[in-house]
Amino acid sequence: MSDRLLEVRNLTMQFGGVTALSEVNLHVSEGEIAALIGPNGAGKTTVFNVTTGYYTPTSGEVFLNNESIVGLKPHKIARKGLARTFQNVRLFGDMTALENVMTGADSRNKVGLIGSMFGTAQSRRDEENAHLKAAELLNFMGISHRGGQLARNLPYGDQRRLEIARALALEPKVLLLDEPAAGFNPQEKVELGELIKKIRDAGFAVLLIEHDMSLVMKISDRVSVLDFGQKIAEGTPSEVQNNQRVIDAYLGVADHAS
Amino acid sequence: MSTSKVSMPKFNLRDKFGDWWEGTTRNQRIVFRFVLIAFFYVLPFLDNPVFGTTESDFASVLFYPMGMYVLMAIGLNIVVGKSGILDLGYVAFFAIGAYTHAILGISFGFNFWINVVLGMAFAMLAGVLLGLPALRLRGDYLAIITLGFGEIVRIVAINVNFTGGAAGLAGIPAPPNFFGVEFLVDDPRPFYWLVLTLSLLVIWAYMRLTKRRPGRAWEAIREDEDVAEFMGIATTKYKLWAFVLGGAIGGGAGAVYASQVTSIVPELFDLNVSIMILACVVFGGMGNIWGVAFGAALLGYFPEKLRFLSDTRILFFGLLMVVMMNIRPDGIIPRKKREKVYDKNTGKEVSR
Repeated sequence: MSDRLLEVRNLTMQFGGVTALSEVNLHVSEGEIAALIGPNGAGKTTVFNVTTGYYTPTSGEVFLNNESIVGLKPHKIARKGLARTFQNVRLFGDMTALENVMTGADSRNKVGLIGSMFGTAQSRRDEENAHLKAAELLNFMGISHRGGQLARNLPYGDQRRLEIARALALEPKVLLLDEPAAGFNPQEKVELGELIKKIRDAGFAVLLIEHDMSLVMKISDRVSVLDFGQKIAEGTPSEVQNNQRVIDAYLGVADHAS
Repeated sequence: MSTSKVSMPKFNLRDKFGDWWEGTTRNQRIVFRFVLIAFFYVLPFLDNPVFGTTESDFASVLFYPMGMYVLMAIGLNIVVGKSGILDLGYVAFFAIGAYTHAILGISFGFNFWINVVLGMAFAMLAGVLLGLPALRLRGDYLAIITLGFGEIVRIVAINVNFTGGAAGLAGIPAPPNFFGVEFLVDDPRPFYWLVLTLSLLVIWAYMRLTKRRPGRAWEAIREDEDVAEFMGIATTKYKLWAFVLGGAIGGGAGAVYASQVTSIVPELFDLNVSIMILACVVFGGMGNIWGVAFGAALLGYFPEKLRFLSDTRILFFGLLMVVMMNIRPDGIIPRKKREKVYDKNTGKEVSR
């Protein structure tokens, strides 16, 4: 289990009487692209919201790098190495693309408010680093020409890329991508797949929520399937594709003939 | 992501100025700043019927309401404009600063300069005590709590003895002479220069903070607090800092105000002050310090300029605000940023 960067054990999340997640076990190992799939409302995004600390789970444990992170505030968890993107792009619209990425990079820096005001050597170093890292990441995501534009004015595809760049600026151990291909055309999906592999190869483990099966099956090393808050299958893409429970979950089980 | 209009207005003074500013050399900028600051310092001597106020002493108007509004509005702008925390009780910090100087100055003979610092410190302390529980809330709920806080401070001032109760406190000492500048009751100019100096200091600090990490953190919180938290920003800490810094400026303003008017009563610190300062921020352009300062100066100036209309001036004043908010809903100088040009390798901003 030492190479398991993110591990979720027996995670249960209840909202009032509704059980969104029930005894879910998941993990993401070093250097892998793990995928989380399932029908709408299966609890995929809830997994993200619990692991990143937005919700406190009803029961169960979450480990990041073998360290329990349940109960920590989201910004603490983010700094420990868990970054995410959002199903509906959520950028800081009135900030430039570069500044968006810098907010992530800032969290790796030391300078505080007083240091910033007086422009200490530390603050100048940190500012320079944040600028440098943000520019690098924009290059990495292929949107360096967008750096100076306001995030809200970027084309949709670039907003998606910018969101990933911002998350990478946190230097996460595990990157959580919530439907990154939503709204993309087939060509863009292929490019995104390559990009995600490039991110994995750069040393970030990825946990991917995605509805586009061809993308998931092509790039994932391991796929977990959620249905009604329960994990119903896990395995390589081909194993999962041929699993009867998964097929039932997606296509529905034949009821009594009506 | 909302797709807002990108269309550019035909003539945009802010962009024209921005383009010009980016084309200037370092020396030109220094000269420009020097001339502008010098202009503000000699403003009390430039009283004339055209832009002076005919029915009230121009230097008085420059101190109060104009100068005080500007100082408080740029303080509140950190909270409301930059960080998106709706604070309806800003007057509380103003009152705390004013009473700090009044009480310590009258009863203990403390020097004004010490009291300004102490007034700011007490306002910051109050900001921490209120902010720690209150800043867990957002939006409407936070607004109501701060509104209550503003009222609590005023009502406490009415009901306890050491503030002089409803009768208030009189005989508040003026600041001691400062390198030959005498602070006299019948000469508002030194007080105006004091407020101007404090405002410039605040603007200086604000500019340094906002172009660096704290500014990005505050903006991120204003844009989307949850996402800011997910991006590793300690949102509670930065919101508290904004709240406390804004409070400190309100407290400092209160001490200066008390030292000039020499007597204060709790009724001076009612909800209207909070609303007025908030109006300055919104009217000028939330989150843009130049807009806020300009808007506050205008909102202080107009009621005095229109004094010849006697009581109906308030009506015209209200009308002006309604019209302005319709024409420019984002304020006189909106915060909407200009796009920038960065070096692709270092990420450093370069002029276009």
